[in-house]
Amino acid sequence: MSIDDTAAAPLTGGAARRGLVKSKTRRSARSERNRFAALMLAPALLGMLIFFVYPLVATLGFSFTRFDLVSSPQWVGLRNYRYFLHEDPLVWPAIRNTLWLTVVMVPSRLLFGLACAGIVTNIKRGSGVLRTLYYLPALAPPVATTVAFVFLFNPATGPVNTILGWVGIDGPLWFNSTTWSKPSLVLLGLWGVGDLMIILMASLLDVPKEQYEAASLDGANGPQRFRYVTLPNISPVLLFAVITGVINMLKYFTEAVVASQVASGRANQGEGTATTLGYPSHSTLTFSQWVYQEGFTNFYLGYASALAVIMFLATIGFIVLLLRRSKSFVEGGRS
Amino acid sequence: MSAITADRVSAVPSAPRGTRTYRSLSWVATHAIGIAVGVVFVVPFGFIILTALMTDQQALTSNLWPTSWHPENFVEVFNKAPLFSYLLNSLMYSVLATAFMLISSVPAAYALARFQFRWRNALFLAVIAMMVLPPQITQVPIYLMWAKGNLTGTLWPLILPNLLGDAFSIFLLRQFLLTIPEEYADAARIDGCSEWRVMTSIILPMAKPAIAATGMFMFFASWNDYYGPLLYTSENTAHWTVSLGLAQFRTAHQVQWNLSMAATLLVMLPVMVLFFFAQKAFVEGVTLTGVKG
Amino acid sequence: MKTLRSTRVAAAGLAAIGLLVTACSGGSTGAEQPVPSGPATGTVEFWHFFADREAKALQSVVDDFQTSHPQIKVVVKSGQDDTKATQAISAGKGPDLDLSYSTDITGKFCSSGAFRDLSGYIARDKVDMAQFPQTVKDYTEFQGKRCAMPLLSDTYGLYYNKTLLAAAGYTEPPKTATELAEMAKKLTKRNADGSIKVAGFVPTVGFYENAPAHSGPVYGAKWLTSEGKSAIGTDPAWKSWLTWQKSLVDWYGADKLAKFTAGAGQEFSADNAFETGKIAMAMDGEYRNAFIKNEHPELKYGTAPFPTADDKTSLYGGGYVTGNIIGISKGAKNPAAAWELLKYLSTDTGALVKLANGVKNVPTTLPALTSPDLESDANFKTFLDIFSNPNSATTPASPNGGAYQVTFQDFVVKWQDGKVPDLDAGLKDVDKQIDSALLLGQAP
Repeated sequence: MSIDDTAAAPLTGGAARRGLVKSKTRRSARSERNRFAALMLAPALLGMLIFFVYPLVATLGFSFTRFDLVSSPQWVGLRNYRYFLHEDPLVWPAIRNTLWLTVVMVPSRLLFGLACAGIVTNIKRGSGVLRTLYYLPALAPPVATTVAFVFLFNPATGPVNTILGWVGIDGPLWFNSTTWSKPSLVLLGLWGVGDLMIILMASLLDVPKEQYEAASLDGANGPQRFRYVTLPNISPVLLFAVITGVINMLKYFTEAVVASQVASGRANQGEGTATTLGYPSHSTLTFSQWVYQEGFTNFYLGYASALAVIMFLATIGFIVLLLRRSKSFVEGGRS
Repeated sequence: MSAITADRVSAVPSAPRGTRTYRSLSWVATHAIGIAVGVVFVVPFGFIILTALMTDQQALTSNLWPTSWHPENFVEVFNKAPLFSYLLNSLMYSVLATAFMLISSVPAAYALARFQFRWRNALFLAVIAMMVLPPQITQVPIYLMWAKGNLTGTLWPLILPNLLGDAFSIFLLRQFLLTIPEEYADAARIDGCSEWRVMTSIILPMAKPAIAATGMFMFFASWNDYYGPLLYTSENTAHWTVSLGLAQFRTAHQVQWNLSMAATLLVMLPVMVLFFFAQKAFVEGVTLTGVKG
Repeated sequence: MKTLRSTRVAAAGLAAIGLLVTACSGGSTGAEQPVPSGPATGTVEFWHFFADREAKALQSVVDDFQTSHPQIKVVVKSGQDDTKATQAISAGKGPDLDLSYSTDITGKFCSSGAFRDLSGYIARDKVDMAQFPQTVKDYTEFQGKRCAMPLLSDTYGLYYNKTLLAAAGYTEPPKTATELAEMAKKLTKRNADGSIKVAGFVPTVGFYENAPAHSGPVYGAKWLTSEGKSAIGTDPAWKSWLTWQKSLVDWYGADKLAKFTAGAGQEFSADNAFETGKIAMAMDGEYRNAFIKNEHPELKYGTAPFPTADDKTSLYGGGYVTGNIIGISKGAKNPAAAWELLKYLSTDTGALVKLANGVKNVPTTLPALTSPDLESDANFKTFLDIFSNPNSATTPASPNGGAYQVTFQDFVVKWQDGKVPDLDAGLKDVDKQIDSALLLGQAP
């Protein structure tokens, strides 16, 4: 059952006309549409050229140089890439941490966000207030929210472990433990799921009511309706959530920096990362933190550019694979 | 052309029209969970509020409840920093960035979503690819470009690029626009509408929630943007935004967290209010359109 | 042919990249600029990192300068950090004068010319360099090139809780590593479940101010050789310190220490574990005095130079010294006037004392140190003495922002967690990593 069947009725008469019109002016209609599309895309294409192609080419160029920002770049060939492959001791832990965070955070946030969106669309009264509450952590400035969150998880004095103690659980060291620091960051990410929830909520509300009714008439139960009606309709937005989630995790910076600063006792506002890099024991060292450290603190912008290029290629490769395998997510549920 | 609006309905499949007890149980469960999660989400803000009302001495100690109350912190924040000027700058930045973004990105997303042309998928991939490069690295050549154009020290390097599209917004809008069935556009075309009218009168109104959401996200992202204004305007306090202002309550070794948190709350307030009213508009205004008869 | 066409395209692409890269960079180091003669006038743009109260202290000193130099106008921009300064200088939008929080940029800024060579100005105005202790001279020049002057300093020493020490029968702070360890063990109190209640001394590196850089000087440990290569693996002093440190960590129990440090308060809040009596002895800087006065005036504490290695007692009285640096940037529009301000800020005794009193750091010239106007008490004086002590040392300048310190600290964290089975091999590895990182930035 699709929307075509119910809505097509008034179109049957026009469909014949449509065929006639098409055969006469198909080519001119197509070119009119292409011209229109090109016009609509023109500003974005220009933007792409200036703010994407240009910095990408520049970064690629810098990656083959020794560049410290304050003197001219000097060509060094593949030296930066060789250093990355063989000699940089901290880049591989950074990559592992970032991949771990990506693989865990993206699905967790998606599922939790979907659940929250589901709750919020099912509550009628007070839903405005509830939605605002859910969105608040994502809306607030990240430094303050991270400091507050990490502080509440302080192993000795924070309320989380105190409450766990009441029920007899000896709470872990959370952000201070090498095993729990990344899961703690995931919890922080779940708390901030509000922006994703809004997007999912909007897409849930966009699912046409008729489809649900039709499915119910066919005898579908709750989970089946979710699978056959909801999911196909929100699949483009789900794809968006996955791709932007992955991209954001690969650039994950501020929360990790502020969290490691608070955890190591030197709560700060996100600058001066060297002494607390990835605290504890670089378990929260993410790739973008390392790129920043190498590029701006160590003045190795050439090397940092090489790291950026490598990350770019790896990410694009992954996204291309993802797009290929999820055709329906790309094309959408309309048929 | 007319459109039939329907009431907003629950889009998530509700309980089968079976037992009443099941329905009321699920009502209770949903509300209980919803409220519980809401409460948990708000607890850290309790911490922020309490910290904002403390002395600097007590801020970020294990003593979570203020021993003395200092609502004057909120006033002091204005005395120590020209927050009002920062607010105006933030407002200008956010409003202009959002407006420019909508002008450039909505048509681009529309074109990507609703037309079939040869470079469609490559362009789509390029839009996504734009978001992948780490901003700190790409800023280096871009900053040099703006410096040559003598625009550093202002907010324009942050505002103007939105006239040429924003990748995140284009991507999001495209995905939403994909979900609108082609039939509506076809019907309009048959009736002789130009592509422009199809876009502006038929399809885009159906995507109002998505457009509103995208605009809202852009506004909030600009409002909270710290690294952008830090890079481009930090040497020019006349152009500072609130996010820069928030980071100023400190000495070389120590941050005055009570003032920082108080300022954070003040900075959050406008966007919180904006969100509360905006979400009513785009959620409750969802239109399920019919088709021209 | 297809291959020819693609080769041509690739070559064109690489050429374009090359052109783009050189065209869009910040510009070359440029030839040495001559030192101007004649009076300095005009506007000077001065960037620094202070904010709030400390920015006001600096502003009042700048106001004094403008009173005595009415022909120079100073435009002050506060809250600027090193990254911002670097990017601005590279784009030609930098200030005339820049005050940096740390000494880590000295190596790069001197070697690349981002900060100008000051030797010409110093010679012209006959600035007496003997008024600076050797340590501050060390962190404001690189490979013989002086591109910065010191402004204020942080020095590190031992803080000890007199009440806790007296309760355990001690009247004097420890002077050697063995004494420190012994006293630490005696001063430690444990809870019923074995966890630490009061720590005599926390040896964990990465906690509060425990860093290899701070302990290096009291062990006489060297970071870099004269050629700029890593000396860590070959200096027995580091090995000796690491062995001492680990034995104390093991005595406490690494996981018990982890639990203790996790629950310790924020270093710069009133919950600081030393200030609340949860730690009996701690390594910290002179600024801690001001915090204690503000937050815990009831605390009975004393300060002393940090205990030295057992075999290096002659070093006693010295400590780690670091500080802020100030220099004239490459693209300065008014270097002559900038130099006047720089000279005033870094050498004028009145200015330095006023700033030191305002910010509660150590002033960086010997005359300022001994000035009667410098506010000091017995506890603060310890640090003034450490500053001028010839045994004090600093971390040497390097062209990659002090990356060697991060590499070594990383190793020490692994070491104290028990993850390094062979110390000698591990230290050799550290040398290799530091050297190869330095090679990454070398000119081709």
